[in-house]
Amino acid sequence: MPGEPKRLEHPASVYLIGAIFMLITLSVLGVAIYQVTFSPEGPAVLVPLQKKLEEKKKSAILEEVRRQEEMEKHRHFHNMVEYPQLPEKDQPVCYICHSSYPHSKNKKVRSLLNMHTQFFVCETCHLEQKKGMKIVYKWYNPYEENPPGPFFGTSYDPETGNLVEVEDQFSKIAPYVVKGNRLVSAIQVQNAPLARDYVRVRDKLTPEQRDNVKKKFHVNIKPKGHECKVCHSKKSILDFKKLGFADNRTIDLQELNIKGLITKYETFYIPNLFK
Amino acid sequence: MKLLRLFLDIHPERKHVQMVLSTGVKMSLFLAVLFTFSTIGIRAEAADKENCLMCHKYRQIGRIDEQGRKRSYYVNENIYANTTHRNVPCRDCHTYITRIPHDPVTEEVNCANQCHIKPPFSKENFSHRKIIDIYNKSVHGIKKDDSEELKAAKPYCKYCHLNPIYRKVAAERIAPNTLLRCLNCHDKKGVTQAYKHITHRLRRKTSRSPQEIVELCSKNCHEDVEKMEKLKVSHETLEAVETYKESMHGKSVLLGSQNSADCISCHASSAIHDIYKKEDKNATINIANRAKICEQCHKGVNERFIQIDVHPNLEKDPILHFAAINLTFAFYGSVFGLLGLALLETIGRKKDGIKWQIRQGTTWRGVSKRWLNKYGPK
Repeated sequence: MPGEPKRLEHPASVYLIGAIFMLITLSVLGVAIYQVTFSPEGPAVLVPLQKKLEEKKKSAILEEVRRQEEMEKHRHFHNMVEYPQLPEKDQPVCYICHSSYPHSKNKKVRSLLNMHTQFFVCETCHLEQKKGMKIVYKWYNPYEENPPGPFFGTSYDPETGNLVEVEDQFSKIAPYVVKGNRLVSAIQVQNAPLARDYVRVRDKLTPEQRDNVKKKFHVNIKPKGHECKVCHSKKSILDFKKLGFADNRTIDLQELNIKGLITKYETFYIPNLFK
Repeated sequence: MKLLRLFLDIHPERKHVQMVLSTGVKMSLFLAVLFTFSTIGIRAEAADKENCLMCHKYRQIGRIDEQGRKRSYYVNENIYANTTHRNVPCRDCHTYITRIPHDPVTEEVNCANQCHIKPPFSKENFSHRKIIDIYNKSVHGIKKDDSEELKAAKPYCKYCHLNPIYRKVAAERIAPNTLLRCLNCHDKKGVTQAYKHITHRLRRKTSRSPQEIVELCSKNCHEDVEKMEKLKVSHETLEAVETYKESMHGKSVLLGSQNSADCISCHASSAIHDIYKKEDKNATINIANRAKICEQCHKGVNERFIQIDVHPNLEKDPILHFAAINLTFAFYGSVFGLLGLALLETIGRKKDGIKWQIRQGTTWRGVSKRWLNKYGPK
């Protein structure tokens, strides 16, 4: 009755039941609002607004790229696999313009050369070695100074004979310049002063000025990379053992597969390819 | 578990493979032994005598082509070894490659080629020719009179088929005793691979889920009304996806049903590729054949049953239209009626001066004005 003191000490179960009813009410309300606003089953009152907003974000280029990617899956047929990609900010500078598929000129070997980007940074092949410059090669990973491995492509699975799948997806062989007792990285990373400064001011530069700066990135870069034999031979500039390659894999890389291909076809099918 | 992990790793979008995780302990053990044997030693080498994978096993092999499209030439050897084409030598399909390193490829693979695989109990090399012949006669096959636009838009083999990956078979579908008996005479590897090859096709018309089929037919094709209009399809075909989604079949498939009818269930026989316009007497949905198709799922199919429109157009059929309006009123009336009443009650109580309070175990506190008017203050 009014005026009587209110009962305040309800048992816990009352709160629980209340919460359940509250949850049901809110769910019904949520679903009802969705039904009226966006659901294709209802009057969809907010759908025109949504479409209008989407229309603003639409990009013909983006749509075409996505469509092409979808088509490529079907053209490819052999179940394409998505691999984790380094975020763009952690890629060396070169990738910003050249992407992971930089080679396109030489029809015979462009794909084979692009294949090497899984294992090498650009400078491994394209670094201009000045006189007296001593270079050693080791595995580079943007997240670890000395990645422990194992690295992809260094050993075979004895069960299947396939290359062993590894966890490290990002390490690549990179050149280091020996300066006294120190090894100085020859990679141009995005954190380097020149790269950071360029990113900061590139919108303010004229196309000519921009071109000028881009040339600076290429000062120590030679346009034509190493020939195959430089790595794929017994006199390889890469110390396969030190880089963690298994003995049988090293032999394959130095002797069997690639060298066989080169020597067999060098004069017959591809006379100018490896000169 | 090795094979399962491989399946899940290599093809995450085929989530229903995860169903395998729910297998019973006994079956799991049986399967583990069986499939472990079947995976050991599997490599793509069998199909790769010419060592194409020497280059193509590296994931970055590819290029950006002259039109700016990314072209990948990578074939994952572990995945390939678990696909239906695992024993087909590369050059059985890629016949135009005659030397290594080869020239840029300009030709397409012809799935009607004979490969060097001999199916069991057959003297002839295998070819997809038979199914391609069926397909070519169907509405999707390219005809002489087709416009160039239509020819280009018609789907080709690879448009619908990627190299199919073997899926592990759910335990409840396996007859272990039968399988063990096979092993009395045949090699373990051969039996398990043959078993995997056959079983996922056994109990359903297709090995794809209804959701996958609906997506396959809709995406970039039948749901693209503008494209369909350009190709001058019939009005019914133009709105087929929309009306399917309105139908009972469509709604249950969209809600996840694995047993409801998808496009293939009605529009094709077990040959899957024999889709015709409904006026064609070969069409499974032709009025003369329709009962047979409905009987796949429904009992007691009669003359009247097959008249039911499975692609209902709510706006065109007056009876459906009014039924839809009534049901809409029933839905909104009940939900919003209840919410409305609760809202009115709340407004009324607030107006009467009762306070809304959540603390201390009560939601309302105070005395209403009406009560005060009637009984006066204490």
